[in-house]
Amino acid sequence: MRQQLLSLLLLACAAMIPTSAEVPSLIAIQDARIVTVSGAVIEKGNVVLNRGIITDVGPAAAIPKGAWIVDGKGLTVYPGLIDAFSTWGIPEAATAAPATGGGRGGAIQVQITPGQAATPQATPARSQGPQDRPGTNSWVKAADLVKPTDRRLDQARGAGFTSAVTFPRQGLIGGHGAVVNLGGETSGKMIVEPDAGLHMTTQPSGYSGYPNSLMGVFAYFRQLWLDAGHYKLSRELYAQSPASVPRPEYDRALEGILGARRLLLPASGPIQLDRMTGLSADLKTPAVYWGVVEGYRMADTLKKAGASVILNVKWPVKERDTDPEQVDSLRTLELRDKAPTSPAILAAAGVRFAVSSDGIDAPRDIIRALKKSIDLGLKKEDALRALTLSAAEIYGVSARLGSIEKGKIANLIVTTGDLFDDKTKVQLIFVDGVKYLPPPETPQGPAGGFPGGRPGPTGPVDQEVR
Amino acid sequence: MKLVFALALALPVLAGQNDSFLIRNATVHPVSGPKLDNASVLVIDGKIAEVGAKIATKAKVRAIDGKGLHIFPGLIDSGSPIGLVEIASVRESSDTGEIGEFNPQIRALIAVNPESDHIPVTRANGITSVMVVPGSTGGRGGGSGSIISGQASLIHLNGWTWEQMEIRRGGALQMTWPAISSGGGRFGGGGDPDSMPAAMAARRTPFSEAKRNQEAQVRKIQELFESARRYQQAKTASEPGFKPDLKLEAMIPVLEGKLPIMVFAAREREIREAVQWAEKEKVKIVLAGVRRPGKMTEELAKKNIPVILSSPFTPPLEEDDPYDEPYSLPGALHKAGVKFAFASFGTQFARNLPYEASQGVPFGLPYDAALRALTLSAAEIWGIADQYGSIQPGKTADLIVTDGDPLEIQTQVKMMFIKGEAVDLETKHTGLYKKYLARP
Amino acid sequence: MRVLTLLLISGALLSAQNVTVIQNGIIHTVTKGTFQGSVVIRDGKITDVGEKVMTPPGAKIVDATGKHVMPGIIDAHTHIALDSINEMSLSVTSMVDMEDVVAPEQPSIYRALAGGVTTANTMHGSANSIGGQNVVFKMRWGQNADGLIFKQAPPSLKMALGENVKRSGNPSGFQMPGVGQQNLRYPGTRMGVEDVIREAYTRARAYQQEWKDYEARKARGETALPPRRDLQIEPLVEVLEGKRRVHAHCYRADEILMLMRVFDDFGIKNVTWQHVLEGYKVAKEMAARGDGASTFSDWWAYKVEAGAAIPYKAAIMQAKGVNVSINSDDAGGAELMRRLNTEAAKIMKYGGVSEDQALAMITINPARQLGIDKFVGSIEAGKDADIVIYDKNPLSIYSKVEKVFIDGKPYFDRDNDMTERPKKEAQKKGLLDKEKDSEKRNAPQMRRPS
Repeated sequence: MRQQLLSLLLLACAAMIPTSAEVPSLIAIQDARIVTVSGAVIEKGNVVLNRGIITDVGPAAAIPKGAWIVDGKGLTVYPGLIDAFSTWGIPEAATAAPATGGGRGGAIQVQITPGQAATPQATPARSQGPQDRPGTNSWVKAADLVKPTDRRLDQARGAGFTSAVTFPRQGLIGGHGAVVNLGGETSGKMIVEPDAGLHMTTQPSGYSGYPNSLMGVFAYFRQLWLDAGHYKLSRELYAQSPASVPRPEYDRALEGILGARRLLLPASGPIQLDRMTGLSADLKTPAVYWGVVEGYRMADTLKKAGASVILNVKWPVKERDTDPEQVDSLRTLELRDKAPTSPAILAAAGVRFAVSSDGIDAPRDIIRALKKSIDLGLKKEDALRALTLSAAEIYGVSARLGSIEKGKIANLIVTTGDLFDDKTKVQLIFVDGVKYLPPPETPQGPAGGFPGGRPGPTGPVDQEVR
Repeated sequence: MKLVFALALALPVLAGQNDSFLIRNATVHPVSGPKLDNASVLVIDGKIAEVGAKIATKAKVRAIDGKGLHIFPGLIDSGSPIGLVEIASVRESSDTGEIGEFNPQIRALIAVNPESDHIPVTRANGITSVMVVPGSTGGRGGGSGSIISGQASLIHLNGWTWEQMEIRRGGALQMTWPAISSGGGRFGGGGDPDSMPAAMAARRTPFSEAKRNQEAQVRKIQELFESARRYQQAKTASEPGFKPDLKLEAMIPVLEGKLPIMVFAAREREIREAVQWAEKEKVKIVLAGVRRPGKMTEELAKKNIPVILSSPFTPPLEEDDPYDEPYSLPGALHKAGVKFAFASFGTQFARNLPYEASQGVPFGLPYDAALRALTLSAAEIWGIADQYGSIQPGKTADLIVTDGDPLEIQTQVKMMFIKGEAVDLETKHTGLYKKYLARP
Repeated sequence: MRVLTLLLISGALLSAQNVTVIQNGIIHTVTKGTFQGSVVIRDGKITDVGEKVMTPPGAKIVDATGKHVMPGIIDAHTHIALDSINEMSLSVTSMVDMEDVVAPEQPSIYRALAGGVTTANTMHGSANSIGGQNVVFKMRWGQNADGLIFKQAPPSLKMALGENVKRSGNPSGFQMPGVGQQNLRYPGTRMGVEDVIREAYTRARAYQQEWKDYEARKARGETALPPRRDLQIEPLVEVLEGKRRVHAHCYRADEILMLMRVFDDFGIKNVTWQHVLEGYKVAKEMAARGDGASTFSDWWAYKVEAGAAIPYKAAIMQAKGVNVSINSDDAGGAELMRRLNTEAAKIMKYGGVSEDQALAMITINPARQLGIDKFVGSIEAGKDADIVIYDKNPLSIYSKVEKVFIDGKPYFDRDNDMTERPKKEAQKKGLLDKEKDSEKRNAPQMRRPS
C-alpha cells in the first residue's frame, strides 16, 4: 500500500520537476505581448528573469548574455494568478470537503480541540465554556502544513495559478494562512509570506458544547480576544515583577491570537457583512471578508468601510431535479441572476476584490466564472487585477507578487492568447523563475482529472445545465 | 363576572326540566333563512318544534326571556382530536396517530374521554359538536407516515359516556394524500450561512426520488382499494373460503359511498391527484387542510367537492406569498362557489373555531358565508343537515344563546343546549378564575 | 452664498413637507381617552393630538374619516428576525447577545408590520436558566440590523424556569445531539434551577468585589493585574446594578414565587415575568414587587406546566395591580404577532377589561415593561409617531390594518401592498423566464474541455 502511494506521488511529481536536468536561472521571454497589470500592456517586448526575480521588462528590455530564450512571438505573458483564499498546498485539505462554497461542507469542519490538551482525544469532550478554547486552532499555521506534494498544485499551475493564499480551516478559528508559491522543491521554499491572517468561521453546527449558536460564536470570539489582551498584560506585568504577579499559564490559543495581523471573516451577504465589520471593530483587528456571494448589494457598505473582499466565484445556479411546481423565492432568483454581476459592481464602486477557489473543482473554472462576469460588464483589466495584483495588495505582498515589474518574484504564465478566451492554452508557467509545463489534459473532464476535486452533482459556473 | 352571574340565575331554573323549553323575545339566526327579530324558539323533547314571532303551540314548557339575546345553531368543528388528546406534549395523554399506514378499522369515538377538560372549555365558546379525528394533529400525537388514520366520528360535546355523545360513529375515513415532498430551500432552510445567505441555501431531496417515493405510496392506496373490492365481491358472493378481515370490512361502507373520505391535501397537485383518484375509485371525498388549491378551485366547485379549512392562524405558505394569504383563502373559495367548513385540528385552540371563520371576513368572505361554514355547511358536508346546522322545526335542538355575534371575540355565550338539554358552561378555567380572583 | 440661501429655503420647504396630519379619525390615544380628532406628526414625532388641531400649510394629509387610529402595537416577547434563538450548551449563557444575530430581511418583520406591530422585544430562547441579552427593535422594514434597533431601549437579559430549562437534565427527556446520558446538563429539577441562578448571581457579586479590590490596589499605587473580564458575568453585574432588566420565562406559581424571593435577596427589581401562566395565583406578590407580567391570551394545555393556564389570567393580574401585556412569543412565522389586537380583545371577553385597558395591554403596558414608554405606547404629543390606522375598531375581529407609520414614515400601506403584488409576480416571472432562456441557450453547447 505504502509502495503504491509512493509511486503515485512520484507520478504526480513528475510534471513538477523542471523538464531539463539543468535548471536555467537566467531566462528571457522575447517578443511577446506582455500584460503587466501594474502598467500598460506591452504589445511586443521582453521579460527577463534572473534567479527567480524579474530583472527587466519592456519593449526593448535587453536580453542578457547567456540567457535561455523563450520565443514569445504570438504569445502573451501574464503575471502568475493568485488564488486569494485557498487550501492549495495543504495536502490534507484536498481529501476533506472544501471548507466553504460547497453549501454544507463547512459545517462538518468544526472540531473540538481543547486548547491545553496534551494528546488529541478520541471522543472530544463537550466544551463547557470559552476556557476550553472550543474549535480554536489559532496556533496552527499554514506555513507549517504546506507541502509541494499536494496533488492539486499541478492542475492549479496548469490553469495559470502560481500563488495561493492558503488557510488551515478546521474549527471556528482554523489558524494562520500563508502566501505560498505553487512550486518549489521544499515546503520552506514555497512560502512567500507566512503570516497572511487568521481564518475564522461562524458555523458551530454539529457541535453540542459551547458555543453551539451563531451568537454564541460571537460571544466566544469577544471573550477570546479579551482573554488574549489579559494574557498579554499578565505576561508584561509578570516580566516586570515576577515576585508579586502570578506567572501566567502558557496558552497556545491566545499566543496564536496575539499574532494575528488580520482576520479572514465570512460575509456572504450584507447582513453578515454588518455583523463582521462590527466584530472586526470589537476585536480591534482589521479584516478581509470572504464569500461575498451577494457582492452586488454590498458595494456601498464595503466602500464606506474601505474593506477588501475575496469573492467566491462559484456562482449559484438552479439546482437540478427540483419540483417543477415549487418556484424559488424572488430573493433566490435574484441571487442567481445577480451574483455573477458582483465583480463589475464592486469594481465600479472602487472596492478592492480578489477571488477564491472555494467550492470550485477545476482551477480553470475560476477563470471561466470571471469570463461570465466579463460578459455581464466586468472590465477584463479588473478581472485580471482580481486574479493578480489586488490579491497581492490585500495580503500586503504587492511589492513581491501580482504584476510584471522589475524586482518582483518571477511568477509568470505564458499563454496562447487572451486569458479569458476559453480556447486559450497556458503553455509555460514560471514559479520563482522555475519553468513548469501544464499537465496533459485529461479526457475524463475536470472533476475526474483533478485529484482533490469532488465529482459532485452540481458543477461549477453555468456549464452544468443539460 | 357578568357571565357567571347570568349562569347562576339560569341554571337553577333549568334544572330538572329536561329538554323542552321556549325562548322568547330573542333575535333568532336560523342560518337557513334571514334573521328574525323578537322571535321565539320552541323546543319539545330535544327537537326544535317551532320558530317564529308567534308560537302557535300551547305546550306547557318553561319559558326563558331572551331579551337582548341572540339564538344561533350550535357551531360544528369539522375536525379535532378532542377527547383523544389532553396535553399535546405528553404522549401518554395522547391517543391520536395509531401505528401503521392503513388503519381504516379504528374508530375515534371509542377513545373519547368524556371527562376531558377540553370539552367544557371548547363548548363554552359555542361549539356543540365535533368531528373527532383519529390522526395526529401535531405535538406528540404520533402516527407519522400514516395514510389512512382511521374513522373520524361525529360527537356532541356533552354526555356521560361516549355512547351518549355519539352523533355518528363512522363520520368519515381520515386519509392523507401522499405529497411529493422534496423539501425546500425557503427561509430558514439551512445550509452554511458563512458561504451562502441562509435564506438561499437549499436542502432538497431530488424531485425524481421524492416522486418515486410518493408514487409507491399511491400504489399502496390503490392496492388497498383493490383488495377491498375483491373482499367485498367475495363477501357478497359468499365465496367458499371467505375469511373476515377487519381492515377490509371497514372499507365496505367507503366503497358503497356511505362513508366519505376526508382527504388531507394542501396544494394543487395533491388536490388534483386526490380528486382524479376519487373519481376513478368512485368514492366520495371531502378535502381537508386545503391551502393552495390553485387551478383546482374551479374544479372543486364544479364537481361539488367540499373542503374543510384548517385554521387561518398560520403564517403564509411561502416567503413570497401575500401577507394575508391564509386570511383570504376562504373568501376566494366562497367566490368560486366551493362549499367549505372549518376545523380546529387541535385541542388547545379548539374554542377559537368561530374566529377561524370571521378572520376571513375583512379579507373577502361575506359574514353570512362565514356563519354558514360553521353551521349548515358543515352539517351538509357531513350528511347530517336533516338534523343539524340550522334552526328549523324538526331539527335537533343544538342551540347557543349569546349576547351578540358569536363570531366576534367579545361576545359571550350565555346558554347552550345540546339535544335540547341545557349544558353547563362552567369550565376548569372559570373555576380557577373565581377561586383566584377571590384570593385574599 | 447663493447656494446656501437656496439650501436654507429648500430646508424650510422640506420641513413643511415633513409634517403629516392624520385627520378626522377615531383616535385611541390609550392613555388620554378615545375621541374623533386628528394627529399632527412632525419630523417623526407626534406634535399635537386632539379633537381640533392646527394643520400647517403644505402638510401631508392622511384622511382617516371613519377609521380607527391607535398607537403602534408593542410585542414584549418575540423571537422573530433572528438567525439563531438558543445557545443551548450551558445553563448560564448571559454572554450571548441577540443583537449579533438580527436578521433584518426576515419576512416576519413585514408581516408583523402588516398586523400593526411597530416595536418588538426579541429575545433569547428559554433553553437555559439564564439565557442571553435581548434586543428591542422597531419594524423599520427595509433597514439593516442597526437601523431596526430601538436605540433608547434599556438592555435586558432573558431568564427561564421550568420544563424547558430542566429538559436537558432529564434522563428520559429530550437530549441534545451528541450529549449522552453521562452528559446530562444540570439542572434537572426546579430545585436545581434555583441553585443555578443563585450561584450565578453570587458569582456576579464576587466579580464586582474582585474589581473593587483591584481598583483599590491600583489607587494605592500597587502593581496589580486587573481581573480577567468575564462576558458571562458582566451582564449579571448589570442586573445587580439595576442597569439591565430581566425578562423571566416562567409558568408555575411555585417557580415564580421562588425567583421573586431570589430577586429579593439580590435586590433585583423591575422584572417582567414572561408567559407567567400561573401568575394569576401569585399576582399579589408580583404586584407587591412592582413587577410586570407579559402573557398569552388563551394558550393552555400544550404542556404539563401549562395545564392550569386560564384565559382570565391577564384580567386577574391586572385587577390585582400588575402591569400586564399580551405577547406572541412568535419566532420566524410572526403569526400571532400580527393579530395581537384581537388577542387583547380576548381579555375583554375573559375577565371583562375595558377597551382602553385591552389596548393598553398591547401598547403602553409593554412599553413600560421594556422601559420605552417615554417614546412609544400611546398617542401623545412628544412621542414617536408610531401609529396604526385600522378600517374598524381594532378590538374587532372584523378590522384590518390599513396603514402603519413608524417615526412618522409610512412603512405599511395595504393599498400599496395590493398594487405591488402583481408587480412582484411579474418580476419573478421575468427572472424565471430569463433563467429558462439561458438554460436553453447553454443546453446544446456542453463546452467542457475534453
